[in-house]
Amino acid sequence: MALSREVYEALEAIVGPGNITEEPATLHAYAYQWMAELVSDVSGGSKFFDRPEAVLVPGSAEEVQAIVKACNRYKLRFHVYSTGWGPWAAPPAKDQILLDLRRMNHILEIDEQNMFAVVEPYVVAGQLQAEAMKRGLNNHISGAGAGTSVLANACCFQGGGPDCIYFASPQDSILSIEWVMPTGEILRTGSLGSGLGWFCAEGPGPSTQGIIRGALGGSGGWGVVTKIAIRLVHWPGPAVMPIEGTVPSYGSPLPEDLFRAAFPAFPSWQAYADAIYRIYDSEIGYIAHRQFVMWGDELQAAFLKIVTDPTRQLCDLQELLEEPEVQKLAEEMRRNFQLILAGMTPRDLEYQRKVLDQILRETGGWNIAAVDEPDLQRYVLLFMIKLCFKNLNFTATGGFIDTYNSVASPDVWASGEIEAGKALLKKYAGRIADAGDQAMGPVSGQGGGGVTGWEDFLFYDPQDPDSAKAAVEVSDEGDRLKAAQGRPPGGMLLGLARATHADERLRAQKLAKIAEYRWQRKLKEALDPNGVGSGNYFWGAEPAQGKDESSETAELPSV
Amino acid sequence: MALEDYRAMMKRCSRCSYCKWIPFAHVKSWRFAKGCPSVEYGKFQSFSASGKFAVSLALLEDRISYTDGLLDIVFQCMLDGCCDLSCKVCRYDLEPVEVMRQLRFKLIDDGQFPFQDIPLIDNLRKEDNTMMMPKAERGKWAEGLDVKDLTQENGEVVFHAGCRFSYDEELWRIPRTAVTLLRDAGVDVGILGRDENCCGGRLCDMGYRGEFLKYAENNIDAWTTAGVKTVVTACSDGYHAFKRLYPSEMNFKFEVLHITQFLDRLIREGKIKFTKKVPMTITYHDPCHLGRRGEPHVPWSGEQKKIRGQVLIYEPRKPRYNGATGVYDLPRNLLKSIPGITLVEMERNREYAWCCGAGAGVRERYPEFSSWTAGERIDEAAFTGAEAIVSACPHCERNFTDAIADRSGAMKVYDIVDLVREAL
Repeated sequence: MALSREVYEALEAIVGPGNITEEPATLHAYAYQWMAELVSDVSGGSKFFDRPEAVLVPGSAEEVQAIVKACNRYKLRFHVYSTGWGPWAAPPAKDQILLDLRRMNHILEIDEQNMFAVVEPYVVAGQLQAEAMKRGLNNHISGAGAGTSVLANACCFQGGGPDCIYFASPQDSILSIEWVMPTGEILRTGSLGSGLGWFCAEGPGPSTQGIIRGALGGSGGWGVVTKIAIRLVHWPGPAVMPIEGTVPSYGSPLPEDLFRAAFPAFPSWQAYADAIYRIYDSEIGYIAHRQFVMWGDELQAAFLKIVTDPTRQLCDLQELLEEPEVQKLAEEMRRNFQLILAGMTPRDLEYQRKVLDQILRETGGWNIAAVDEPDLQRYVLLFMIKLCFKNLNFTATGGFIDTYNSVASPDVWASGEIEAGKALLKKYAGRIADAGDQAMGPVSGQGGGGVTGWEDFLFYDPQDPDSAKAAVEVSDEGDRLKAAQGRPPGGMLLGLARATHADERLRAQKLAKIAEYRWQRKLKEALDPNGVGSGNYFWGAEPAQGKDESSETAELPSV
Repeated sequence: MALEDYRAMMKRCSRCSYCKWIPFAHVKSWRFAKGCPSVEYGKFQSFSASGKFAVSLALLEDRISYTDGLLDIVFQCMLDGCCDLSCKVCRYDLEPVEVMRQLRFKLIDDGQFPFQDIPLIDNLRKEDNTMMMPKAERGKWAEGLDVKDLTQENGEVVFHAGCRFSYDEELWRIPRTAVTLLRDAGVDVGILGRDENCCGGRLCDMGYRGEFLKYAENNIDAWTTAGVKTVVTACSDGYHAFKRLYPSEMNFKFEVLHITQFLDRLIREGKIKFTKKVPMTITYHDPCHLGRRGEPHVPWSGEQKKIRGQVLIYEPRKPRYNGATGVYDLPRNLLKSIPGITLVEMERNREYAWCCGAGAGVRERYPEFSSWTAGERIDEAAFTGAEAIVSACPHCERNFTDAIADRSGAMKVYDIVDLVREAL
């Protein structure tokens, strides 16, 4: 339903005439999203979710506040995004306006001494990193890559990534927050709430860390976070990373006495898990991730050859797969991860290298020799430190989801789940890409270690209805297999896409089975009494009287 | 090919927003990380390449119809191609610029064009140029030059001035110098003067494919009649038209060189020697149509197939236009060879250079946007400490000059040819 002229004019008066639109073509651009075709009960199998009624590009927290107050006055629902990548960025239902925060794009402060930055929502990780590196600092980058919002990854979404082992998880890196709550009030949390600056999340002002972020963040359902302070870490490299090579095969020749990319590989999953424990214990590593298996354990070696050679193309894949050298590398890489060692001094790097060597000796592992080849070393360092090639997830077919994820202690790698995930993908090979094990994930999702796991990727063709259907079938079957073991569902991305776009009432009924979501509903009602904040939020309905309120997860995937 | 042929591609865009930025590998600062002027100025998602995939698909699926707003989304863009390059850092199966070109062709074919085009196209049809000037004055830039008239006699090399150099009097010094340098070096060079045609490249980017084809055929006929073997131009738009567009549309047998390439050849052969110092700190602006969009056409015929179930490949190998083989080093080497010149680089350079703002009719259709885009580049040039911005395209030079005047700036603007002349 189109906005009334009264509402439109009220919103236009807040942001100015050039910063609001009802142009149908533009509204469709905001409805278009990755995975829309998989949520076919909403999209009809198209690339389009529901379109917003209008899009606004506010320029300040004050404008956001005025918009939110207007939404409360007119009982108008709003959805909000920063960089807008992913199905959860599209409006979750009809009759909503969308706030695109792209004009709020400033790095407000980098406090070198106290090692934090204050940013607005549209500052992407690659931008902050470039400025931080000039000061000998670095910032966490979400696994989704350099083009995603620092603020949204920290406050509003999962946001973990390959560097958590050293940088800590994003939720642990949030300091103070400026938050336009769903009522339009502005809450400043942590030390900022007491006028003492941005340095602390938990006080002396109010702490809302658990509410604003929790495990997954509010996905835009908690009002609008307009500024955050985020913790930074040490960067021992140059102020500007040097880049060499021809597009797209760029690489970074970093000082060899401070940086080293390694591919630790293991004869068994048990050895792999043991090595992760030892890495936690020895506190080595700057970035640690099982990255390149995103292309599949059968294809990753060939793909590495393609992306590091500007003359190569995907049509070379079959030929490469038949080369003995590539086959050998693929076999070596079957149980490997990528480890970036960064020494704060040359002695530090030397120490870390020796520790790694010892871990490999003790676990029967080895470092894959190919990574010492200079071009690959430069490519891997650039890839992992800048996360500037993360859209390679889409290279093979144009679409991917994750399907059979696991998050747990390192023993999970030896639990048989990798093989189970691979067998599931093989069952559907043909309708989806036949790539093998695609369990990509961090060596640690927490600072210093403690939790690891993976996303089991699946490549499908978004324009091929049968391939898209297969992707959904794999995900559903994976969730059923997990449920049969009493484990949470494995497909995070499709699960979120469905959950955020499902009928709200139905979703609430399903999520009511999970106690956490019932509590979130109570919070949502308290903080958003007019229900104008986005429905893109996980909250559960009140359970029917007399029903068991214990936590239950098995039916989540059927949302 | 037509827009409809790209429907599958439209569905495979991941909407990752790489198209809005320079390649993330090359981001060196907050200030100069953006790559797409269109979305930076237009603000809304629809102005990005990804947004235009969505808009194109919505149009093909009859979800939207033509509006003035849609025309702005489609045409308020220089087709500079930075989006295309950034997308292809990861994607081997998407062609953002090609989809945007086809979208423009469709709109023009459907009679949907910005109202600003009306006088321009009316004049074009009468006077055969994009500068709103009479055809009779086209050769005026070369008056007094002792150069062959290829309408009267044959010559091995034709110097194509192009519309901007032919009619922009302040810039006449550049084609005049270029022709003089070639002639003095003993090159059998001539011009078509009054009978020169528009190259059509800019018209093609504006969406007027029919007009482009007409001019392409006329030019090829004229060159063939004059016995031409090599086409030289100092205009990057023209270079792109001759190097990339003409061979993609018709049988094309001519060698095509940008003036910087020809000058480099003459310097290496010892036919041009520098004798004076030009003490100046400069920065070089890569014209989009000489750089990332200046890659030569490579013939290809084949189809998309799937291997390993769903992995998308082209068979046979399809040429990738991702900016890798544009002209980047040669102009820089030429500048560095001039005594006294200190060349400093802007953050966004080579294949990921920020556009000057003049391309694809934007200067004429959306002058404020065009000036803003140029101003952004001037700011970036000033950031290097350079006292002058040097380019190799009249459209860039005109747009920079005007943007500097609008801002009362002090930055000087030169063509490479200017500096070569200074050093002789």
